[in-house]
Amino acid sequence: MTLPALLASAEIPPFQGVHAATSAPELSWSGLLLLLPLASMVLCALMAMSRTRTKLPAIVTSVSFLGMFVTVLGLAFRVGDTPVVVHLFEWINFGWTAATPGPERAGEELWRSITANVGFYVDSLTIFWMLFVTGLGTLIAVYASEYMEQDRGVSYSRFFFGMSLFLLSMSALVMADNLVLLYLGWEGVGLASYLLIGYYYKKPAAVAAAKKAFIMNRIGDAGLALGIFLTWVNYGTVEYAPLFAALSDPPSGSGSWIPAAIPFCLMLGAFGKSAQGPLFTWLPDAMEGPTPVSALIHAATMVTAGVYLIARTFPLFAAHPDSLEVVAWIGGGTAFLAATIALAQHDIKRVFAYSTLSQLGYMFLGLGAVSTFGAAYHVFTHAFFKAALFLTAGAVMHGFAGQLDLRKLSGLRHLPGWKIVSWAMFVGCLWLSAFPFTSANFSKDAILEAAFIMDTPSYRFLGWLGLFTAALTAYYSFRVWFRVCCGPVSYSPGEEDHGSDDHHGHDHGSPGGAVRDHAHEPATSAHHGDGHGGGFHPHAPRLAMNLPIILIALGAVLSGIPAYQKLAGGENWAQQMVLHSSAYQGSAMPLAHGDAAVEHVAHPTVLGMNPHLAMMVIGGVAGVLGIAIAWWFHLANRQAAANLRSSLLASPATRWLPILLERKWFVDEIYHAIFGVPAWIASHLLHWFDRHVIDGLLVNGVGRIPPFLGRVFQPLYSGRLQGYAVTMSISVGVILLWALWAWIVGEAPR
Amino acid sequence: MTLWALLLAPLATAAAICLAPARTAKWIATVGACTATAIAVLAALQFPHWTSETFWPDERGPEIFESLGVTFELGLDGVSMLMVLMTVLLVVVSVIGSFTAVTTREREYYAWFMVLESCVLLAFMARDAVLFYLGYEFTLIPMYFLIAIWGGPDRRPAAIKFFIFTFLASVVMLVGIVYVASRRAEHVGSWSFLIPDLISYASTQLTAQEQFWTFLALMIAFAVKTPFFPVHSWLPLAHDQAPTAGSVILAGALLKLGTYGAFRIGLPMAPLGGAELSQFFAVIAILGIIAAAMICWVQKDVKKLVAYSSVSHMGMLMLGMFALNPIGVQGSLIYFVNHGLSTGGLFLLIGMIYERHHTKDMDQLGGLARTMPVWSSFMIFFTLSSVGLPGLNGFIGEVLCLWGCFTSEHDAVSGYPGMLGPWFGIIAIVGLILGALYMLRMVGAIVWGTPKEPHHPHDGGDHGTRLPRDMSPREIGIMLPLAACCLLIGLYPKPILESMDPAVRAALVRYPDAVEKVLAERSEAEAAEASAQGTVTP
Repeated sequence: MTLPALLASAEIPPFQGVHAATSAPELSWSGLLLLLPLASMVLCALMAMSRTRTKLPAIVTSVSFLGMFVTVLGLAFRVGDTPVVVHLFEWINFGWTAATPGPERAGEELWRSITANVGFYVDSLTIFWMLFVTGLGTLIAVYASEYMEQDRGVSYSRFFFGMSLFLLSMSALVMADNLVLLYLGWEGVGLASYLLIGYYYKKPAAVAAAKKAFIMNRIGDAGLALGIFLTWVNYGTVEYAPLFAALSDPPSGSGSWIPAAIPFCLMLGAFGKSAQGPLFTWLPDAMEGPTPVSALIHAATMVTAGVYLIARTFPLFAAHPDSLEVVAWIGGGTAFLAATIALAQHDIKRVFAYSTLSQLGYMFLGLGAVSTFGAAYHVFTHAFFKAALFLTAGAVMHGFAGQLDLRKLSGLRHLPGWKIVSWAMFVGCLWLSAFPFTSANFSKDAILEAAFIMDTPSYRFLGWLGLFTAALTAYYSFRVWFRVCCGPVSYSPGEEDHGSDDHHGHDHGSPGGAVRDHAHEPATSAHHGDGHGGGFHPHAPRLAMNLPIILIALGAVLSGIPAYQKLAGGENWAQQMVLHSSAYQGSAMPLAHGDAAVEHVAHPTVLGMNPHLAMMVIGGVAGVLGIAIAWWFHLANRQAAANLRSSLLASPATRWLPILLERKWFVDEIYHAIFGVPAWIASHLLHWFDRHVIDGLLVNGVGRIPPFLGRVFQPLYSGRLQGYAVTMSISVGVILLWALWAWIVGEAPR
Repeated sequence: MTLWALLLAPLATAAAICLAPARTAKWIATVGACTATAIAVLAALQFPHWTSETFWPDERGPEIFESLGVTFELGLDGVSMLMVLMTVLLVVVSVIGSFTAVTTREREYYAWFMVLESCVLLAFMARDAVLFYLGYEFTLIPMYFLIAIWGGPDRRPAAIKFFIFTFLASVVMLVGIVYVASRRAEHVGSWSFLIPDLISYASTQLTAQEQFWTFLALMIAFAVKTPFFPVHSWLPLAHDQAPTAGSVILAGALLKLGTYGAFRIGLPMAPLGGAELSQFFAVIAILGIIAAAMICWVQKDVKKLVAYSSVSHMGMLMLGMFALNPIGVQGSLIYFVNHGLSTGGLFLLIGMIYERHHTKDMDQLGGLARTMPVWSSFMIFFTLSSVGLPGLNGFIGEVLCLWGCFTSEHDAVSGYPGMLGPWFGIIAIVGLILGALYMLRMVGAIVWGTPKEPHHPHDGGDHGTRLPRDMSPREIGIMLPLAACCLLIGLYPKPILESMDPAVRAALVRYPDAVEKVLAERSEAEAAEASAQGTVTP
């Protein structure tokens, strides 16, 4: 019922199936997308070994990222509507003739193969994704060249090694022509994220966060791996081109549970990478990493890989619409939950981290509501404004010695040198709150609109939840901006630089590094520590940080072009790009065939308006309302916020609310109690069992039998004559007794 | 002749070490190990047909017991070639890795090491079942001395447990082999212990019940050697107490004798038994994957942790083998090599720490990334290889084992019916998560974090050789080839997969039919039971 409704109402051309892919060996230069980051990875490793203290690693990395961006542009002009497969080299590839046992299958010669090569599947969705991944990657690498400058040395190279590894993996993930190569990229970005979250490895919190991120991702990865195996078991291939070809045939209805399970497995992978639903807890902790990493990996690009996975394998999901409803619920639920937590956080980066979770939730809601365009477009717009927000937060952190508490910063826009940061943050917040006529407004509306178009009670509920969450979003994002950038000027520096104590760790590992370390300590604290005394001067960002901030904020503004095009009645190129790929939502069409209801479905309405208009109006009102409330509590009357909190805490009926929100709904604690503790106990029990029962009782017990037997019989061979005499007499006695008994028994019957 | 040279080179080296002065022992051993490697590489280059199913070379060896038909025949195929190459590489690495670790009774140490290499190579190259058994058992003697003389504080009990446990189990294997050979002698009229002869007889002529018991007898030995979970308890102890190089060879070559035996003799000899018992062994394997991983999670001793992780990995390996299709078996064979490389690498790295800090306790180590960045990079690399990060070797083995398990169904897409299926794989996949859990816990504890000063400060004074704070060029030199192999296999496994393919196909040739037969019998039995119940109930 839902899909026909959608298809009837949206202006979607009829489904023609995913275009068959053509092979394009002439495009093999696109292999540069793997070679360039690989080269910069190797160079960074070499520079780490040579202990260079220059900015060379940053330069090499930025140049190679720029090269990738140019390569993607080149590809964009070469690839049309038809997907193109570029084979690079063979990775896992072997085949065999299927055995044909049994008489009924005799004579069949079936060629089976596992083919997972290193190759690219290039269509407009790929290009769309790679454009912002490489573009933002380049800008953020430039930004990081200044942000990380105090770490120049081995750590600086290590940082850019991680960034290159990330882009290498990301391009494998996005460009892959099969699910196994995607899995390679998938785990690769996880590794890059692990290494970069744990960049300040002397901080226990950073190490724990890195481990948590990797493990949570691993759980998702196991789901993805499961999905890949089941895909092969069911369809006999993991390459996109043959897979989509197999899927465009009507489902054969074999009745197996496997095809229905595949989307759920892939979904688990997507939730792990995009920190959704039950697997969300790693992302806020990932903010322990350097801020450029938070901006690039944990906000703009890597975390959207889950959206990419579902968009890319959308035909698999469309074949089982139940799975899409689950995606929608998880997405909508996460969006709401994360937004409520963001209301009560004081750390700027944490607020933005939860807003990322919330926005990712919207994207999954969009996927679940069969609006792949909405989801992908929201990824696109979100990438820019969220990167802008994180980069400005990073600039604040950089300038105020690690200060991120929004209660301790105020009026930044009146400070000299902070204009660019303040207004870029304003753009980010305005876009995040989906203010009318910003690009994020269009992309969020496309998602919510789709939810209302689905026109079932559950989707309608999710739609309203999304609208309510939009108001929350506007409130918490402007809470940050009004607090930090407006109002009277006041600030106090943080305790350390970059939230770390490792900024003088560049020479670690050299013999006597520890000694030199101490020599550095006074110098560094003299440089930054004067803030503690009250004479603190924030150092404003310079060109290498300001330029990317400006460009990314500009990108956020320009990301609205497709939507303005559409408003002007033209072609929406973003929509064209998403829909001319496997993410084409009409691929759900075959299910609608033969459903008589198609023609009779009326367009659903929201409050008497058509959904599109309704979203503009209601979403706009919600956003403005949220901003207004934030203005009242955090600029006009700052005391009111504190009063509200204390009055909530005072009443026993409401005190749970601020506590729950500030403690993040206790999700971490609950997980620890449900999974961590039992597993820990079980492992200790197993270890005890292994040592004392298996090894101690069984193995050593069996081992003790021969000596024990020996000891039993040992007295017999003591060598003493009396002993032998006693033994002999006992034996003779026993034999006599036996003979007697045998005689009696033998006698009795006679 | 190449194979004979390969077999005798380490023995000759051992003899030379015994005769030469003690301080030259390590250099002679290095030269000997390198010579063996050179010969093995030469053999690999000569190896004429990577695509043939038969052993190479075809020439017959001299008979040892003419009346029993026991011959001294050596031969290689794609799989044993790979095993040989891995063994010689690991021996070179461990010999060079022992330079500073072993300073007492050097002559004996290196001589035993060379003898061990020879025994392992004999088992991998034997074409005769008795010869295989000889190599298999002879490895125990040098290994016993390596553990008992140069091991840790509890070395004596560890060595004795290792010896007796594996020795008793292998006797059962000998019984199985002799039984098959005697039945064949009755049938054919002349004795032979050649593996192909025994296989071609046993797999076709023995009844289902005989195959069942034969398979069980063989697998008892191999299961202990591999080791499977409930009979593993000798391994953590032996690993913990063995010297570093001993652990490397134990993990890299000795454990592989068990899995290699299962592949070379167990599976092809008794297909009906293998099909019948595959579910049983798969369940035990999965139990091992999960239980051993959980035990790893609570270990405090780094070396014990890696030892238990071996048990977990071996479970995954055997799961792939009992998938009974080319994907899973290829996966398990490539897992042989991967496990040797990555676990061997981890043991070497832990040995370097032990030489410097005299502790393997996770609580006493920490923040080594700061003091030993090169070591830490290698540690992370081999950890990632061990947890199966795609692009490194571990992934290829793991993914193919699981893949094989998933398609090992009655009506499998792969065309090879098997007895397992997705549910086995779904449970085994938990091992992927647990693997990351315990390995990263270890890395988090010893590589990251705030630097800790171990109780024994870095001095190296015990050995009279001063070790640098981070890895020395010699140590980097032995880790690099291992790391290079990990990368190479991870990125381009094609040549290995291709070279093993014919041998794998040959080993599995009777399996589709055997599985079908077992399944048919089971469904018949079920039907009979159902009909019996049906006649009772109305």
